[in-house]
Amino acid sequence: MRILFIEDEAQLREQTKAALHQQNLTVDTAADGKEGLYLGLEYPYDVAVIDLGLPLIQGIDVIKQLRANDIAFPILILTARGLWQDKVEGLDAGADDYLVKPFHFEELSARIHALARRASGWSNPILSCGCITLNPSSQIVTNDDIKVELTAYEYRLLHFLMLHAGEVVSKTKLTDHIYEQDHDRDSNVIEVFVKRLRAKLDPYKQLSPIETLRGRGYRLNLSRQSESTLS
Amino acid sequence: MAEVTDSIYRDKVKALSLSKRLLLAVSIILTIFLGFTAFSLNNAFKASYDVTQHKQLKNHIYMLLTAAEFTESGTINMPSSLAEPAFSTPNSGLYAQIVKENSTVWYSDSLLGRTLALPNIQRQQELFSTIESGSDKLLNLAYSVVWENSKGQQYDFTLHVSQDLKATQQANHEFRLNLWYWLGGTGLGLLLIQILILRLSLRPLSVVADDLQAIENGAENRLSQNYPKELNQLTHNINTLLDQEQSRKQRYKNALADLAHSLKTPLAVLQNELDTKRGNVLHYRETDKQLEQIIKSMDYQLQRAATEGRTTLQGPVAISQLINKIAASLDKVYENKQVQYQSELDITLTLSADEGDMYELFGNVLENAYKYCTNRVSVSIKTDEDHITFYIDNDGAGIPQAAQADILKRGKRMDTQTEGQGLGLAIASDIVDAYQGEIRLGKSQRGGACFIITLPKR
Repeated sequence: MRILFIEDEAQLREQTKAALHQQNLTVDTAADGKEGLYLGLEYPYDVAVIDLGLPLIQGIDVIKQLRANDIAFPILILTARGLWQDKVEGLDAGADDYLVKPFHFEELSARIHALARRASGWSNPILSCGCITLNPSSQIVTNDDIKVELTAYEYRLLHFLMLHAGEVVSKTKLTDHIYEQDHDRDSNVIEVFVKRLRAKLDPYKQLSPIETLRGRGYRLNLSRQSESTLS
Repeated sequence: MAEVTDSIYRDKVKALSLSKRLLLAVSIILTIFLGFTAFSLNNAFKASYDVTQHKQLKNHIYMLLTAAEFTESGTINMPSSLAEPAFSTPNSGLYAQIVKENSTVWYSDSLLGRTLALPNIQRQQELFSTIESGSDKLLNLAYSVVWENSKGQQYDFTLHVSQDLKATQQANHEFRLNLWYWLGGTGLGLLLIQILILRLSLRPLSVVADDLQAIENGAENRLSQNYPKELNQLTHNINTLLDQEQSRKQRYKNALADLAHSLKTPLAVLQNELDTKRGNVLHYRETDKQLEQIIKSMDYQLQRAATEGRTTLQGPVAISQLINKIAASLDKVYENKQVQYQSELDITLTLSADEGDMYELFGNVLENAYKYCTNRVSVSIKTDEDHITFYIDNDGAGIPQAAQADILKRGKRMDTQTEGQGLGLAIASDIVDAYQGEIRLGKSQRGGACFIITLPKR
């Protein structure tokens, strides 16, 4: 999952970026509204986290311009003062949630995951498709209640496919969502990751959870489990 | 005692409006002036009337002298009829007598049956006086003449001509009546004109008052510039004051925002640092707790400092729209819950308050409702003459009895409050207090909590 984080305070920005990395999230950062707006318009993010008090372009205007350009990814606003007027204005401009500074990383990542889930139609915090479950906060993946060990990129790939379970996801899209902006990309690597994922999730080749659609991409074929069917 | 009544009187005079003061002064001056005019005109009329009367009586005397025929023996012969017919008509009001050595030698026909108390005069004299005949008053001119015959013998005659005063009194009365009509009319006219002038010249003052009212209602930000120059200094000063107040408020808000920003960013860094190192180390846990405490207290105190409260010249806030806007935002934040928000608010409802304060108040209370509801939140109002009461209602589990007493306590010690509850509601409670309102907890019909907020309209 790829996150855009726009925050002018360097230390907070780097710290948060590192913490989100720990959560296996792909993070692009911007130090001002102008750069942030450019990134938001240019790359397909899953969630954007935007501070309201930004240099060059105010956070609220970044949100307005993103929405005016039909950018639909969920936006979480950060506010220093937590004034309701600011929150309402931000949400009215097109943001989806708010967080008041200072915040705990757990809180921030929980909100980010919740927004991403909401945007892709999940209501349960734990993603579950067929017998495979993925817990975004603990980053634990299980297959029939047995823990599956994944590398960071395998995890990112599975997370994205599960968020969009049932949809066709192109290779480019996968690349876009699991790599940071300035990362060296090679779409062949995706094929390798998918191959390894298949092997780890379906060692006995009974499940075939990831379908390849020639020339179009991949699709996670296991049906989404809602909360009621889970318990 | 006298001092007390004196001061009460002074207060009353002070409280009189400008137009009433001017009107009172003008009325007094007009009354004195017109009264004096009436008095002097009346006197002048009387004097000139007497002179005319005197002249007229003298003319009659001359006429009598012309008609009289003096004999050598000192007697007098008068013709049977005189040029003035009033002398021949009995009781006509005009009478004549000729007296020689205290006995009447001739009298006019009009005097038949009457006796007049005539004054005595010296030789060569003339006397204009008022005499009486029964109940009547008459003006009388006595005129003495000396007749010298050819032998040089001199005879003294006194001619009396009397005019009944009834006619004079009538004329006087008519004149006075006329005078009062005219002066009264003029006075009334002057007073009306004065009122018009007052209205016209005091009008800018009421315009200023209206403009101030408009500022108070939030329709205008400052006074317009088109006032007479006498008022310009005043309105200019008011405008300066308004601007200063505005910029003071802005500076204050900016300072608070800067303070919040400059404190919170390092705190956020600190907290994040702890987050990454915390683990299960007890030492870090305590630090984390203390840090949490600092942040909470800071949030609360900053919010308190930012509360405007009731001030004069506060514009009206479209409170229903504001509440619905907050609810729309919360709908977004709590999208997973699919909260059904029900608003029974009159969309035209306004409240005289600071907009930021109202955002904080209803933001905090509504967020509490959204947080703890199952899936229904409703807002309704009741208004009376001076107050608006808001009912913010949810269908959640409600607030436990034990927590109810503490939840709205202002300035409650932060370290004794339960997580999640309190800070927002404590802020809400503070704001309500700043507006001399009331916030209570009631039982919702749907089973959850119902916050009842009463705010004064003005």
